[in-house]
Amino acid sequence: MKLNRRTLIGAVSATAMLAFGGSAMAQDYPTKRITLIVPYSAGGATDVLARQVADGLAQVLDETVTVENRPGAGATLGTTQAANARPDGYTLFMGQVSSHGIAPAVYKNLQYDPVEDFTPIKLILSIPNVMVVNKDSPYQTAQEFLDAAKSENMSFGSSGVGSSIHLSGEMFKARTGADMTHVPFRGSGEAVPALLSGDVDVMFDNLPSAMPHIQSGALRALAVTTPERSEHLEDVPTLDELDIAELDGFAARSWFGLLAPAGTDDAVVATLNEALDEVLASDSFKKFADTRGGQIEGGSPEDFAKYIDGELSSWKTVVDEAGVTVE
Amino acid sequence: MLENIATGFEMFFTLGNLLAITAGVCLGVTVGAIPGLTATMAVALALPFTFNLDPVTGILLLVGVYKGGVFGGSITAILIRAPGTPAAACTLLDGYPLAQKGQAGKALNMALYASCIADFLSNLSLIFFASLIAGLALAFGPPEYFWLICFSLTVVISISGSSLTKGLISGLLGLLTSTIGLDLVYGTQRFTFDNFNLMGGVSYIPLLIGLFALPEVIDFYVRKVAPFTVKTADKSRVSLAELKSSLVTIVRGSFIGVIIGTIPGAGATAAAFLSYGEARRTSKSPETFGKGNIEGVAASEAGNNGVAGATLIPLLALGIPGDVVTAVILGAFMLQGLTPGPLMFQDNITIIYAIFIGIMLSSVVLLGSGKLAIRYFARIADIPRHILLPIVLMFCVFGSYAVQSQMFDVGVMLAFGLLGYIMMKIDMAAAPFLMGFILGPLFEDNLRRSFLISEDITIFFRSPICWIFIVITILSAFVGVRRELRATRAKRDALRSSGAA
Repeated sequence: MKLNRRTLIGAVSATAMLAFGGSAMAQDYPTKRITLIVPYSAGGATDVLARQVADGLAQVLDETVTVENRPGAGATLGTTQAANARPDGYTLFMGQVSSHGIAPAVYKNLQYDPVEDFTPIKLILSIPNVMVVNKDSPYQTAQEFLDAAKSENMSFGSSGVGSSIHLSGEMFKARTGADMTHVPFRGSGEAVPALLSGDVDVMFDNLPSAMPHIQSGALRALAVTTPERSEHLEDVPTLDELDIAELDGFAARSWFGLLAPAGTDDAVVATLNEALDEVLASDSFKKFADTRGGQIEGGSPEDFAKYIDGELSSWKTVVDEAGVTVE
Repeated sequence: MLENIATGFEMFFTLGNLLAITAGVCLGVTVGAIPGLTATMAVALALPFTFNLDPVTGILLLVGVYKGGVFGGSITAILIRAPGTPAAACTLLDGYPLAQKGQAGKALNMALYASCIADFLSNLSLIFFASLIAGLALAFGPPEYFWLICFSLTVVISISGSSLTKGLISGLLGLLTSTIGLDLVYGTQRFTFDNFNLMGGVSYIPLLIGLFALPEVIDFYVRKVAPFTVKTADKSRVSLAELKSSLVTIVRGSFIGVIIGTIPGAGATAAAFLSYGEARRTSKSPETFGKGNIEGVAASEAGNNGVAGATLIPLLALGIPGDVVTAVILGAFMLQGLTPGPLMFQDNITIIYAIFIGIMLSSVVLLGSGKLAIRYFARIADIPRHILLPIVLMFCVFGSYAVQSQMFDVGVMLAFGLLGYIMMKIDMAAAPFLMGFILGPLFEDNLRRSFLISEDITIFFRSPICWIFIVITILSAFVGVRRELRATRAKRDALRSSGAA
């Protein structure tokens, strides 16, 4: 192959442009509208949080951030689209326990790889699940419930197959060997009434949806599923601290975090991570997290990557033990 | 209490609140009228605007959007046979034939009056009987729900059109289509052909648009004979006599709406069809339904708007959101640091009163903005069809795409459009298909949930509510089928005697 000077210069400068052009772009970032993909319909918990985050990011970065809802197939559709988006920092993704924790373990033919296809940016918020029973239930503690569940069949409600509510129940069942039947509903909104009326015996609901009923006394909280107690329910023990050998280290929670498609420039990731620090520290976000019963998280992109790894393996264990799969 | 009401009034009567309701209703009517954009989406999109508003103002904005959206859906259903929201699908059964007869104005006005009256009655139920009927929401467990759905399925008999057999086939096809996707209990894939887009099931809006709006467009181009004439502006109005004779239907529809609205998850679409079925069943001339009977429009709109106020009953009285819209409204409450439920009646009763006053007023605002909307939208009926139909086609594509930003859904719309066209050609009613599609998952879910809760079949007979619905299901099916058979025989006899003569 013959190389003349002109093509050589051209090639070199093209390479240089590619190399430096990228970081020059990152320095200016952002220069145009940012899209935040939410894999659920407008109005759901993830969507409401995403809009809050988008609002905060827009103020900090001084650029428009629009939320785009891509619901379908239990969040996997929108997640796949985010995975295939251009990694230029202008398409971001609102990841959560389903897309980057449970779905990879539950769905056999997933179209994305939660680790290879994404660059984590920051863990934003976590929400404990809470083990609740009806106020007329004879069980005052998780221990009493467990004792009963070893000799008679109990039903546990959930917001659907593969939700963190469902799998928390499965985790409890697999660990303790309790005799429990899963009764799926379409969303917590339908499952909670069944618990209130006594059609199902127990539920490991997300705290925000159970909270009002715990406060009004219609539901009794037996335990929270996180390793630490929730600041919103300080009197309620964790499953872990109950001195039940089978439940040692029990940890299940819902969480939300910001991700970008894999290959997004490190400088862009750093910019977004710092911007999120500011968003999470704002009073309006604190108030938001508080009313939702959530715990504000944070940390570096590396922390988040490690967190996702941990989540993927722990949900996989539950799913394998419980034998839940979606073909 | 009077003091609280007075404070509520004081809290409500601010310029901001009045503006919020008006803006909300107008926005709702407009968005609701665009096929593909539903009342639910409108509410979700309006949510971020409430973050910085005062609680009462924010909630009223959302409620306004919701109510406007439910009515708005009927506008395009009547004018171009494309229901703006799923709940309006029933309105087109008689609304569109009326529009074809040049009485679009009349149909739209009746839809508006029925909507406002039903809305008002629904609000009254919310305010005066909330705590009384909220118990219904909890009394409906899976078995009760199962029988309610069985009863609702008998409506298929009433909306089958010319042939009961074809209607039943159509309903069964709808049920079959509703099984596509992951099953609820085990997450098994059914009829997905390994296609990722089908895992969540066939999308609702593209199916709706395809089934109803597209066949009209196809038919126009296939036949090429439709009139290209421009009609004069439609001046038809609802006469006082018509309103009076529809009043019973409207009131009955409103209460069907209230009951369905109180039960979480049942939805406005089912209420509209139930109300329609009842109106036809009790009518002296049931054969005119589906061919442009103004009472059909009234029944449908009363049913779906009767739901609007009532869905707030379980939310405010129990803190349970019955559908996506109330879930969004619940979110708005929580963002303001308010928790709907019994405690709110103790702690924030003045806010509740202020909201109630606003909700009552929203029915009046709906009447005003609806009138305005009709005046402008009704002109659509005057557009020559060779210009209008390409625009309708564009909206079909846009509406299907808008829901999830998926080209796949446009394909779904086209496929169901073709099916709808074939059904139209063989004179098979499409409404039972829709009923089957909507009620199918509810039927299956509750059947299976009941068996998960108890392996014993007696669970299906556990409460008086079960028995009530069992009895009326059997009665409704029996009476309905007998009537249809008689009508067919009468028609055949008439044909034979005219043939003999």
